[in-house]
Amino acid sequence: MLVGDSGVGKTCLLVRFKDGAFLAGSFISTVGIDFRNKVLTVDGVKVKLQIWDTAGQERFRSVTHAYYRDAHALLLLYDVTNKASFDNIQAWLTEIHEYAQQDVVLMLLGNKVDSAQDRVVKREDGEKLAKEYGVPFMETSAKSGLNVELAFTAIAKELKHRSMKLPNEPKFKLHDYVKKEVRGSGCCRS
Amino acid sequence: MAADVHKKKSWEVPNGSLAPGDGQHTERSESPTPGLAQGTEPGAGQEGAMFVHTRSYEDLTSPEDGAAAARSPEERRGEPAEQSSMEQISKDFSELSTQLTGMALDLDEEMRAGKEGKLEPSPQTARRDSVLSGKEEEDVTMDAWRSHRKHVFVLSEAGKPVYSRYGSEEALSSTMGVMMALVSFLEAEKNAIRSIHADGYKVVFVRRSPLVLVAVARTRQSEQEIAHELLYIYYQILSLLTWTQLNHIFQQKQNYDLRRLLAGSERITDNLLDLMAHDPSFLMGAVRCLPLAASVRDAVSSSLQQAKAKSLVFSILLSGNQLVSLVRKKDQFLHPIDLHLLFNLISSSSSFREGEAWTPICLPKFNSSGFFHAHISYLEQEMDLCLLLVSTDREDFFTVSDCKRRFQERLRRRGVQHALHEALRTPFYSVAQVGIPDLRHFIYKSKSSGLFTSPEIEAPYVQEEEKERLLGLYQYLHSRAHNSSRPLKNIYFTGPRENLLAWVTNAFELYVCYSPLGTKAGAINAVNKLMKWIRKEEDRLFILTPQTY
Repeated sequence: MLVGDSGVGKTCLLVRFKDGAFLAGSFISTVGIDFRNKVLTVDGVKVKLQIWDTAGQERFRSVTHAYYRDAHALLLLYDVTNKASFDNIQAWLTEIHEYAQQDVVLMLLGNKVDSAQDRVVKREDGEKLAKEYGVPFMETSAKSGLNVELAFTAIAKELKHRSMKLPNEPKFKLHDYVKKEVRGSGCCRS
Repeated sequence: MAADVHKKKSWEVPNGSLAPGDGQHTERSESPTPGLAQGTEPGAGQEGAMFVHTRSYEDLTSPEDGAAAARSPEERRGEPAEQSSMEQISKDFSELSTQLTGMALDLDEEMRAGKEGKLEPSPQTARRDSVLSGKEEEDVTMDAWRSHRKHVFVLSEAGKPVYSRYGSEEALSSTMGVMMALVSFLEAEKNAIRSIHADGYKVVFVRRSPLVLVAVARTRQSEQEIAHELLYIYYQILSLLTWTQLNHIFQQKQNYDLRRLLAGSERITDNLLDLMAHDPSFLMGAVRCLPLAASVRDAVSSSLQQAKAKSLVFSILLSGNQLVSLVRKKDQFLHPIDLHLLFNLISSSSSFREGEAWTPICLPKFNSSGFFHAHISYLEQEMDLCLLLVSTDREDFFTVSDCKRRFQERLRRRGVQHALHEALRTPFYSVAQVGIPDLRHFIYKSKSSGLFTSPEIEAPYVQEEEKERLLGLYQYLHSRAHNSSRPLKNIYFTGPRENLLAWVTNAFELYVCYSPLGTKAGAINAVNKLMKWIRKEEDRLFILTPQTY
């Protein structure tokens, strides 16, 4: 389930992942919740992700609340060019703790890193906040595609490991996987 | 007859046959007369209507709405305004160079002005590129902003901007303050402002507490019609919030900034205003059906009917802004206004094209205090066929989603998909099918079913401006026919570029556009022929057998 303020790029992120395209042009806000499917192959196993793209606006909160508890994983987004969307992350986390399952897989994403000049939220700020709440973090760009595939694959891997629960398999560590695979937005970052 | 050749009703079900001598339908006369009873006119449903019975346009515009309508201050206080204050007010009005009466006259003059062929070009409509950061809108101090043909403003009783069609609300906060001042000034005198007419403009006020809606228009519409459009905007806002929530918010906090809750919906409201300028559905207060063979429509309807769930209230299949099929819960009726709002919601966002959307929606005419939950999806990506399943249960997404799957499966099994595809290829019929040479266009509404039919607008109404002009003429006839002080039943209008005829009875409304070369006698003959044609085609053009679950 994709959550976060209105206009942070939830739908764009999903469309980039699903169709490999960027929704250029004018902003069209999602109405209510949008349900879409995507089948991924993770370590040779087919995983069907049912992705719920939510509207960020306040008036849709009650619908999103109703679907939190059925969600296995949450992608919480903010927009690196919009300070308010970052400041609201805490409120979103409170909501998530209230409505979502205890063991929900959670990931924090700072989107729109392609707009380097407009950036107002530093990568370190995102990292710090994520660390505070113990959630994996990465910066993404639906426009360039940076880390988009990774975000969804990491979630799929984690969910697959949880549902298969093979006894002799080492536990999948989402944090470590994300840390290992994540790419920076600049050319000089590892 | 050309029309006879044109249509081979191989699909016709015996029940729908209208051949003379069909015992079952003797009461459905072939050529309707003004005395025709409601329910027997062409297009009338055979087993009851789908919609709330709206007898007339007045039903829609009258300030009923039960609790939802805010009473004007006069009514609230239950006493008429005092004579002296009335005098004062009329003095104020004359100072403002306004007039309160004589709408019809004034329309006549405008029509004459229109005849001279001066038509204001519709200004470029600046669209909001982004509703979020989207305040890179028009500069409200520019002439371009002033030259728009119709401005619409919504404000709260505290004078706070809620919506503006053009330009940013912030930039207009002082203008809206003036509007609110006008409203409260008259209310302080226990009166209500309805409109100001000055310099070719009509400023129309609609008061629906806690909101005030204002239109500033240079169109030829009557005050009544502009108010009707403002009401649509009000209902649009209710559909997002419910009347209960809207009132609750302003009871808690009078100076609440409603834009916070309406964020992202500006596009829907913009779209509704654009749609009302092009689509006669709103003027007619009725719904247009996709022309479809009755057998195909029946197959679609029964597939919809079978794919039901406990929480489902309405299943609606639509294409463009035309209805393909509607199945409803027994005893639950949809109001055309509510259906128009649903049509507008779907046409205003491309985000429904993929995936399945699930959204709360209030149908204000059905129940303005609660939300339904609508499942919105397109059947196939390339096909303009949208399915709308309206449920009462917020948590029922998966059940309702399964209804969609079952519906599609049944469609496949019945093998009507091909026929549906074919019908979608020609979503409008040509007026040439009727076989009347001078006939250019018409709108026919069956009052009892709340459905209307109308051919494609063809030459000479090719350009957008011309289409709007034609609709403007219909609006004019409609406003004359429904003028509350002097309603008319028959109108024959001769203009330099076309002749028009309007015929309003208890059972139907007919508006016809002819070439300017025809005669009045010819026009009347043609009406009879046209009515026969509509009767013959009614099972294709209308939904005669609405289904319930």
